Amino acid sequence: MSGLYGSLSIALSSLFASQEALETTANNVANATTPGFTRQRPVLVPRDPVLFGNLTMGTGVDLQKLESLRDPILELRLNQGTQDQGKLDASLGALQQIEAMFSGTDSGIGDAISKFFDSVQQLSTDPSNMALRQGLLTAAGNLASAFNNAATNLQTQRANLDLNVSQTVGQVNNLTQQIAAVNQQIASLENSHQDAGAFVDQRTNLIRQLSGLVDVQVIQTEQSIALTTSNGTPLVSGVNSFQLSTQIGTDGMQHIFAETGEITASLTGGKLAGLLETRDQKIPALLGNLDQLAAGLATALNTAHRSGFDLNGNPGTDLFVPPPAGGVGAATALAVNITDPTLVAASSDGSVGSNGNLAVLSAVHDQAVVAGEKPLDFFSQVVFQAGSDTANASSDLNASNLILQQLQDQRNSVSGVSLDEEAANMVRYQTAYQAAARVITTVNDLLDVAVNLGRY
Amino acid sequence: MRVNPNPMPDYLAALNVSREAEQEAMAEMSSGRRVNRPSDDPAASAILVDNHDRTTLTTRYLTSLGLLQSQWQTADSTLGSIETALTRALSLGVEGANGTLSDADRTAIVGELQGIQDQLLSLANTEFQGRYLFAGTNTSTVPFAKDAAQPSGIRYDGNSGVNTVEVGEGLQLAVNQPGSQLFTAAGKNMFQGMSDLIQAMQSNSGFDSAINSIRASFDYISAQRVFYGNTMNQAQAQSTYLNNAKLQLSQQENTLAGADVEAAASNLVNSENSINATLSAIGRFSQMNLFDFLK
Repeated sequence: MSGLYGSLSIALSSLFASQEALETTANNVANATTPGFTRQRPVLVPRDPVLFGNLTMGTGVDLQKLESLRDPILELRLNQGTQDQGKLDASLGALQQIEAMFSGTDSGIGDAISKFFDSVQQLSTDPSNMALRQGLLTAAGNLASAFNNAATNLQTQRANLDLNVSQTVGQVNNLTQQIAAVNQQIASLENSHQDAGAFVDQRTNLIRQLSGLVDVQVIQTEQSIALTTSNGTPLVSGVNSFQLSTQIGTDGMQHIFAETGEITASLTGGKLAGLLETRDQKIPALLGNLDQLAAGLATALNTAHRSGFDLNGNPGTDLFVPPPAGGVGAATALAVNITDPTLVAASSDGSVGSNGNLAVLSAVHDQAVVAGEKPLDFFSQVVFQAGSDTANASSDLNASNLILQQLQDQRNSVSGVSLDEEAANMVRYQTAYQAAARVITTVNDLLDVAVNLGRY
Repeated sequence: MRVNPNPMPDYLAALNVSREAEQEAMAEMSSGRRVNRPSDDPAASAILVDNHDRTTLTTRYLTSLGLLQSQWQTADSTLGSIETALTRALSLGVEGANGTLSDADRTAIVGELQGIQDQLLSLANTEFQGRYLFAGTNTSTVPFAKDAAQPSGIRYDGNSGVNTVEVGEGLQLAVNQPGSQLFTAAGKNMFQGMSDLIQAMQSNSGFDSAINSIRASFDYISAQRVFYGNTMNQAQAQSTYLNNAKLQLSQQENTLAGADVEAAASNLVNSENSINATLSAIGRFSQMNLFDFLK
């Protein structure tokens, strides 16, 4: 037995442990509203006992470490959820701007096609009327500019997305650098057996942010963690980060490169994947459809127009500037070929009052001009596609938000700071401190008795 | 299980969802439309493209019919005037043929017949909105001109073109009848008849064949006039049909894109209720914790 001094040292260990535990509580309370903070709890362990004769005597308490309460599996699922959300959020934003072009039937390409055929019908009641002939040319001009505007809009969207891609790559690089730096901190703290909880929280937050941008996989290594994209391109390995870079490709768009080569097509999650999918698939597909429609319609109308005669009795020319071969860029380039209303080929026999060729032009309305479809049927499919792409992205995003919220809820139930709990802990540690202090007072009294033995 | 100590974000997310539903219902009620963007209902949006197109065309068919109606009426009443003139010529011819007239009387009649001839020429050159009605599709050239080289004294400068105008899906109506068919067909040439009659009146012989020739023209023009009557009846029926079709199209548009006001109103009330409920739940969420009770 170590006697009164032993008791003093045991009580002292309890004072220290209670103080440190109280500090932990204070820190938890202080960070109760800090986003991403993981609550800590003190791990108290009894000191190694000493053998005294045949008795094993305790020697006090030690605060072994502070434990952060986090569920690594949940954190991984949160990362996954954030990737899905980031991707859907980025594509929905772009898709909503695209579908706005097809909102309302009173404007846009569909309306311009209807109005063009309307002007043809109108002219057929009075084929030599100059105002009506001009009306047909104006309607043709509106048709061309409807296609031009839609194509320009889509290209502007694409350019904006492209700009966003290079900015996002910059953010990714910034985050991976920060994560590598935090890894360094964590490593040096853990090497000296100190608690790195705050840095781990910080790293978790950074990885969460990174997940919003790109598909990240977290690989736990013995000492630290490594981050890669889902196809294995390294982003961070321990204290090293690997930068991504962008280069303009042959399509005029930014392509993303890692040290191992191009990874543009292999990104599957996060904002980058959403941006790239919209930039490289959705918009080009839509543009391609508009090009096909513009080319098919212009070619059919040109053929019809050439089969007639103008007001001067001369054979009709092309109504629209012939679309480029293969149709690529047809929507952007669509333009009316004639400006003189006398050159509208309304007549089928060269006489000024004949409207025979207008029926030929009208018939294009019901001709299979593109992919076996009538012009407006094809266009309504384009509208349907734009609408359903947006609607799907929107409902997917809602679902993804719900999942993420659910996961956040679970994470908070494990890692969130509860003030009730902290208050109760505070009472516990306070009581423990008070009790230990009381022991010290008592030992002091006893020592006093021992020191003054024989004085009486 | 330990509960989430900070459920406030959940409440806020729930509030956000309810507010979104409220805004959607408000937008539907205030715009009167359920489909404002293609994503509101992609299938309906696709059908609306077709609906808009057919509405545009149907409206155009109706406008065309209105325009053609007045053209047909002008042509019809012109033919009516021609019939009246020919009737007068016939009765003058019959008068001359009974042999009791003096030379002076016949000369006077010749004068009247020449007046009728000029009247017929002018009627055959009737214009409608600056276009000659009976010139075939050669509408900018005066179709009938005096020409001494012709046996009838009148030359046709028009053509035999007939315009048709679409006034319904797949329904084409002929707009005009060429003057060559109406007035100068072989054996039914009214100008030839008139010129024969004038000659008969001058020579006091050959009345019968001249009268027969004019009568043949008269009968023929009467028969051809039926064309305009029939066409106008057909146009009338087509207008009725098109007005119905237009109504149906607008009903379809309304069904597809119009606001379901009852549903929108009930959505609005529901979302407002859930907003109020969420707000009062947040308001009642205990601000107290154990710290408040420790001394």
